Amino acid sequence: MSGVEIDPERVLKPLKNTSKQYYILLGLFTLALLLFLEAWVHQITYGVGAVTGIGDWGISGGVPWGLYIGGFVWWIGVAHGGIAISAAVRVINLDKYRPIARIAEVLTVLALGMAALNIVLSMGRPDRIFNTIVQWPFTVHHSPLAWDIAVISLYLVLTLTYMTLSLRSEISALRHRLPTWLAPLYALITLGYRPDEDEKIEQILWWLAVAILALVPLLSGGVVPWLFSLIAAQPGWYGAAAGAAMLTESITSALALVLIMTVVFRYAYGWHDMIEDGILRDLTIVLAFLALATIWFTMHDVLTGYYIAPVNIGALTAGMLELNFFWLAIGGLVVSVVLLFGMIGWPEYFFNTPLLVGVSALLAITILNKKVMFVVEGLMYPTQPPLTNLYPTGVYSPTLVEWILFLGTIMLAGFGFLVISKLIPMIELEKEERELLRPNAETDKTEVE
Amino acid sequence: MADLPPKKGDPEWEEWAEDILDSTEFDTDLGKRISKDALRIAEGELSKAEFHERYSDEMKAEFGVDERPTEPAPETDTAMPRVPGDRNQTRRNVLKAMGGAAAAVGLAGCVGASADDGSETGGNPEPDTQLGMAIDTERCIACLQCSEACKEENNTDIGVHWPYVFRYEDEHAGENREDFLTRHCQHCSEPSCTYVCPTQARYRRTEDGLVLTDYDTCVGCKYCQVACPYGVNYLGKDEPNEVVGNEFDGDRVGRDGRTVGGNPPKGVMGKCTFCVHRQDSDDEELQGTTACEQACPVDAIHFGDMKDRDSDPREHLREKEASNQYKLLDEVGNEPNIVYIGKRPSKDAEPVQGPVSYEQLNMRDGNYDYVGAPEDAAAESEEGDAA
Ligand code: SF4
Ligand code: SF4
Repeated sequence: MSGVEIDPERVLKPLKNTSKQYYILLGLFTLALLLFLEAWVHQITYGVGAVTGIGDWGISGGVPWGLYIGGFVWWIGVAHGGIAISAAVRVINLDKYRPIARIAEVLTVLALGMAALNIVLSMGRPDRIFNTIVQWPFTVHHSPLAWDIAVISLYLVLTLTYMTLSLRSEISALRHRLPTWLAPLYALITLGYRPDEDEKIEQILWWLAVAILALVPLLSGGVVPWLFSLIAAQPGWYGAAAGAAMLTESITSALALVLIMTVVFRYAYGWHDMIEDGILRDLTIVLAFLALATIWFTMHDVLTGYYIAPVNIGALTAGMLELNFFWLAIGGLVVSVVLLFGMIGWPEYFFNTPLLVGVSALLAITILNKKVMFVVEGLMYPTQPPLTNLYPTGVYSPTLVEWILFLGTIMLAGFGFLVISKLIPMIELEKEERELLRPNAETDKTEVE
Repeated sequence: MADLPPKKGDPEWEEWAEDILDSTEFDTDLGKRISKDALRIAEGELSKAEFHERYSDEMKAEFGVDERPTEPAPETDTAMPRVPGDRNQTRRNVLKAMGGAAAAVGLAGCVGASADDGSETGGNPEPDTQLGMAIDTERCIACLQCSEACKEENNTDIGVHWPYVFRYEDEHAGENREDFLTRHCQHCSEPSCTYVCPTQARYRRTEDGLVLTDYDTCVGCKYCQVACPYGVNYLGKDEPNEVVGNEFDGDRVGRDGRTVGGNPPKGVMGKCTFCVHRQDSDDEELQGTTACEQACPVDAIHFGDMKDRDSDPREHLREKEASNQYKLLDEVGNEPNIVYIGKRPSKDAEPVQGPVSYEQLNMRDGNYDYVGAPEDAAAESEEGDAA
């Protein structure tokens, strides 16, 4: 059906052979994790109020939410975009892009975890997180954070179900080729597996993908913006286009990260023939237009905030235009768009994977910047006159601890990729490809518990 | 007011009004009485408190809720969506239903004419008691005694001021004058902070309407702080309090068994508790008092049950009914329970240093850097009596 030749042997290689570079990378990430833990212990010991740039708004002129909550929104966006990419590949039958689907799924699972972790990092008493869960049934109808938990959980369940189902026949076919020490994990994934379920599972997966695609705009472009826009005290968080803008940014950042991870795997395992340049080039086009749409939404925001906006929104927009970070974001977006369109228009001059990775990283960081700005900016300006004047404008800049902890979540996601790439094939194998590896029906039966 | 027929009491007008009232499904007689008294409010013959008392029950019986449109219409920039569970929506519907009757007799217009004073909205009907305050800014001299007393009483962190005194300059009848405004947690009847709390640590106590934080269950997510329009929340940091520096010595556990009194522990949200430990203590001398109220040398703070006609704040509001009375940010819809007496700061109010600085009393003023300009403060001729 497609020109892509997937070589199952080489897809399985990472599960069996581990290179020296892998261990070095693992060591580096482990070190980063230790630093992360150290910083977290430090934050818990001295208190969020003492070691972060987070402060009380009001007379203290602080900003109560900062990098962590901005980071949460960013990770959530990545998660929603990631699963949307994978689901789209399945629903529209874009077989050509199958090699990136699983990378996107894994990214989603990790991103959801990191989103949740960022919320926990932001808490003054993370040890009490359980209270939120205990109270959930009583708070879900009014507390945005409780919805949050619901959304993240729903998404995690959907993604994990989706991934597990898509893995079942694959794992059972490949059992004899997979590391034996992981047998319990594989047994769990393939629990009750029968070869004749394959067709059903395919159908279920297709419908799940449809459901996911339908839910993404509702969750990423709906619930997450609502989390903010329902807070009447902070008008900067409200806007008619907020949902659409967030959704666009989500998919942009997710695609950027999927691209980066794809190139990384391609490079690490020499999968250039399986993940062709053509795939990267197509994704570049999509990324270019998404980045353009992000610019468009930003302009929209500024224009509506600047002209006939109510006083406080106008002040907010004016304040935003004075932030260096705003111009940094605009700069990042414009540079990305120019480079991406250069790559599309004159591939012979501009298209190369390092540059693509660079632009993707720039876009992901720019969108992170936008998310943090969105959160912080909304909180910087006391909005209701006369308090507008009586309270100082808030100031916020993240401290080293905050940077270490937030960047730590990125490290943690990288660590997750390293680990997961040793557990499951990172490229989904189709039936014919699996059959190449299946010794014969009898041995298979004896292997399935 | 423009479409109000010429003269009240004019027989022609009465007929016209009656016709319109009869065409609605509402009680014509009640409408007439209400509108007459509303006019008396506008003339200053009747206090809004009395008006409310007189009609509360009947309004409830007739319209299902007592929500007279006494608040100024929200401006566009404040008409924002709120957390689900808020009752603005139903209120709006009721207002719509009332529209015919009320508008016809000019009720909205009459009351609207005096809309800038203490809008005595009935608010949330559940608690029998609603603790609140009347703060007389006409008396306040910005001596910061309330802030200091609170610090001594509750041992709050150094930069934290549960009652904070805004000292500002504002245009008063053409001249720029200094004025003061003491800001506590407003113990709102529709507190946005409780709606957003994911643990129900921030809650409104039903028997007396206090909004409190359970220090044992709060996770320190800061959602309440973000959602409160008044900026009165402070995350506990465990910073030394230089005013007293010793422990909080009231009872931390309230009468409902939750840990709500005194300063919050590190990582947990705190705000003014209306001295809950005093309200819940066995000592009758302490009940019904707050540290700030007692410390105020000019008796500007009046604390008590806003539902009790004879309470100290209600009495004071009656006494000063000739003065302007208002609630801070009442257009946001949180239904605050502090009523201010005096001129409402305009949107151009500019903070100034005031007669006494927080530093002089060994406290830190987070706003100070911002207000800045110590030379300004020195140049100020320090005429504290804004009253
Ligand atoms: S003033 Fe703020 S903190 Fe106090 S009850 Fe109202 S919303 Fe809650
Ligand atoms: S900081 Fe505490 S009281 Fe405030 S919303 Fe979060 S859990 Fe509730």
